[in-house]
Amino acid sequence: MSDSTNGATKLPSPVPAGTSHREERFALLQAQTRRHFLRSFTAGVGSMFLGTLGSPFVSTVGAAERGIDGSPRLEFTRDPSHPLSVLPPQFAGRAKRIIYLHMAGAPSQLELFDHKPDLTRLDGQQCPASFLAGKRFAFISGVPKLLGAQYPFHQSGKSGQWISDRMPHLEKHIDDLCLIKSMRTDQFNHAPAQLLVQTGNARLGYPSMGSWVIYGLGTENQNLPGFIVLVSGGNQPDGGKQLWGSGFLPSVYQGVQCRSHGEPVLYLENPSDVSRPLRRRMLDAVDEINRQAYAEFGNPETVTRIAQYEMAFRMQMDATDAMDIHKESPAVLAAYGANPAESSFANNCVVARRLAERGVRFIQLYHWGWDDHGTSAKDSLNIGFADRCRETDQPIAALLTDLKARGMLEDTLVVWGGEFGRTSMRENRNGQVMQFIGRDHNPGAFTIWMAGGGIKPGMCYGETDAMGYEIVKDPVEVRDLHATMLYTLGFDHHKLNYSFQGLEQKLTSVKPARVVAEVLA
Amino acid sequence: MTLPVRRAPLRLRLGLLALALILLLCALLILFPPDGLERASWAQFIGRFHLLTVHFPIALVLLVPILEWTGRNPRFSYLHSSIDFLWPLAMLSSLAAATLGWCLARSGAYSGRLVTQHMWGGVSVAAACWLCWMLRGYFHGPRLAYPLALVATVGLVSWTGYRGGQLSQGENHLTEHMPVPLRKLIGLSSGSTALPRSNPAYFYGAHVEPIFITHCDSCHGPDKQKNRLRLDTYEALMRGGKHGPAIKAGNAKGSELFRRVTLSPSDDDAMPPQGKRPLAANEVKLLELWIAAGASSTLPANAIKDAPTNEVPVVAEVTFPEIDPAAVTQSRAPLAQAVGQLKERYPSVLDYESRGSAYLALDASALGPRFGDDDLAALKPLSAQIVIADLSRTAITDRSAPLLGAMKHARVLRLTETKITDATISTLGGLDQLESLDLYGTAVTPASLKVVESLPKLRHLYAGATKIPADASVSDSLKGKLVF
Repeated sequence: MSDSTNGATKLPSPVPAGTSHREERFALLQAQTRRHFLRSFTAGVGSMFLGTLGSPFVSTVGAAERGIDGSPRLEFTRDPSHPLSVLPPQFAGRAKRIIYLHMAGAPSQLELFDHKPDLTRLDGQQCPASFLAGKRFAFISGVPKLLGAQYPFHQSGKSGQWISDRMPHLEKHIDDLCLIKSMRTDQFNHAPAQLLVQTGNARLGYPSMGSWVIYGLGTENQNLPGFIVLVSGGNQPDGGKQLWGSGFLPSVYQGVQCRSHGEPVLYLENPSDVSRPLRRRMLDAVDEINRQAYAEFGNPETVTRIAQYEMAFRMQMDATDAMDIHKESPAVLAAYGANPAESSFANNCVVARRLAERGVRFIQLYHWGWDDHGTSAKDSLNIGFADRCRETDQPIAALLTDLKARGMLEDTLVVWGGEFGRTSMRENRNGQVMQFIGRDHNPGAFTIWMAGGGIKPGMCYGETDAMGYEIVKDPVEVRDLHATMLYTLGFDHHKLNYSFQGLEQKLTSVKPARVVAEVLA
Repeated sequence: MTLPVRRAPLRLRLGLLALALILLLCALLILFPPDGLERASWAQFIGRFHLLTVHFPIALVLLVPILEWTGRNPRFSYLHSSIDFLWPLAMLSSLAAATLGWCLARSGAYSGRLVTQHMWGGVSVAAACWLCWMLRGYFHGPRLAYPLALVATVGLVSWTGYRGGQLSQGENHLTEHMPVPLRKLIGLSSGSTALPRSNPAYFYGAHVEPIFITHCDSCHGPDKQKNRLRLDTYEALMRGGKHGPAIKAGNAKGSELFRRVTLSPSDDDAMPPQGKRPLAANEVKLLELWIAAGASSTLPANAIKDAPTNEVPVVAEVTFPEIDPAAVTQSRAPLAQAVGQLKERYPSVLDYESRGSAYLALDASALGPRFGDDDLAALKPLSAQIVIADLSRTAITDRSAPLLGAMKHARVLRLTETKITDATISTLGGLDQLESLDLYGTAVTPASLKVVESLPKLRHLYAGATKIPADASVSDSLKGKLVF
């Protein structure tokens, strides 16, 4: 095609004088060139793609009011300037908030809750071949030896549940706990397994459950983030900050990591020469510019940015107060074993209670260091494991005591767990007998517990085999746990969804998930 | 072929053409019978229209005797003239329906007794229509030939239609819900028709066959054999289907059938297919044990120790309440305006309890001292609608007592660390829906216990950090309800 046909300016008028209306239209159609077509075609495809992305702030024209199953969709649209405002749940749930205690590294269920006398009896025997057939391990090679529990077990409480001697404080709450001994995952490395537990998906880019929860319910305290993350144990969890990321949800729903020692959020305080009114004037100017940008481009992330600045301004007052555990009495600090002068899991538990009181919806505590392979003293069942138990046992028990006394265990769901379980066999890295005792990763079975918030107390659900290696009764997938948690908050996990890339995305992903009705109070 | 010197009448020429079509279809059915294999989706797509078209020829055939009968009355004799048109139409449409039916059966993995009978029934109907058409207008044979053919055709249509119903609705679709007296009258058993078929003294008859009958019979039973697999008898089970043997005796994991029943329900190969109830864990275990033990039909029923029973455990399920938007709007209407205004004034503090509820939840705890008696007074018009009230750490005092006492439907009342005293508690006696009362960190004394005792639904009274001692003597009605 010659260049002379390209572009309206070079073209002579396609409509000769004195033609009829029909001829005129025909001539105009003829004037559409291949390039015209390609230009408008690509824009069309692009806008079709953009249309599928959706956003809770921009109501898509003709957005379906009904989901794929034909039932009415739940609406999560909010005023763009208040993206975290409270929305009622789908139905009246028992829990209002969640405190999730993630023991990063995966604590051994066989040293805490899953009592296996037969395994102790067979300690040191060669592991049966059927344990190894078709299995992949992170480190075990050759034929490992069975490893009995390293600590004695006893029955406790009115419910008579088995527990080891490593958690003497938590044991006092044994009748408040619902143990699930048949958790299962399909990931055997820390980062993807943590992502699966926290986001419902082993790959990056999916919203964490805290993000889903505040997307669905908002948060009561507009001066604090609705989803706060506290990390202890000296290391970040392997899954990184994606564990509390908002994925494809607007970023205003992501978790905010705070420090339990010093300034809760770095640089939250005004610099010494900046007064609060001056800060306000500065923010007003920034807001004005952002609003202009939003008016021009309509990008919801701009709204997120405006809301974040405003929240940071309000947080300067409230967050500092909420995180300041100096305000607790010495008796309370002693009950938790907390020391305000340092950073610890105990401090984080005090903060968790303070945040729960202040209406924070989702509070997540990570404590790193449970990966007891036996490669060194601190990564072994005999030494490091006992230390982790000591660091967490008293604070968790104190947190449960506090919540219970304040009546908050009624509407706070507390969840404790790692990302997978540990093997019934002693780890033999490179086929060697190791100096310290440890276990390898076992995605096939692990134990978590839940307490409060509409969960039946003093019970145990699910069962593993005599070696504690595989589940023999009532397996619970991670997505089943998610569905159950959302149910206690008042949601059908199918209905808490968000249209993205042509799919009604949800925390439980696409595989069928089951609410574990047996554990509901 | 002999060429007629004189051109045959139009009806005869058309008739011969139609007969050729019928014979062509017959040849098709004989050469390519439905064999239980799944084929191209186009044929299946077209085939599905069989269900739509099939009722048309039925109606036409049934119309003929009505017209014949009515037309005998001289006033309606003109009806007779349309019958000569109806017959060829019925023949052509049944031919078309039969062809579509063949497409469906051939591509949709059907095989078995029922589908064969239904198929040949359909072709016979077309042929019978052709015969009636010829008899009525052309051959003028013996006097009774046409009426007999007519009656036979009607019978044939009914029989074929019944077979089709059995194919799609189940074999007993007509008698399934027949009242018991009527059943007795026609000599049907009154109970369910599922009877044990093999000897229950053997493991196969006791544990294995019932699984196949429950889960597999509708597609791999006597009447339908998808992918040529039939599971209702031991011999057929061991013979296998299109994909080869279903069972490898002694090797459960290597058996195709076992592999498919243990796949995730969303897998394309999983059996029973998605949407049907998968096998329960104990049923899978029974199959595994039986195959591992050699998959014999004569293994005694109790030969395998620790074998589970066939009883399917009942799985607890939750139901998610459905929300009817119209009903919700209606139930909220009386107070909608007041709620709207106050929600605006107290955002994130006041809202409906849930999306389907007209009751309200109030949570001022996040506001702390910024929420006081005057604010609670502003919510007065809605007091009776509030079911959950969390006023923890707010600035409310005993001045709010009457407002709290007016929350007739309150289930949960939280007054943690507020300045309220016994004076407030004394007004709460009428809250007969109250389940949880939280007084942690207030100045209430044991004097309040008297009022609290009278609350009929109360389950928890949180009295930590109050003047109520942990060892306070309480009446029987409060025993076990106090939490410190």
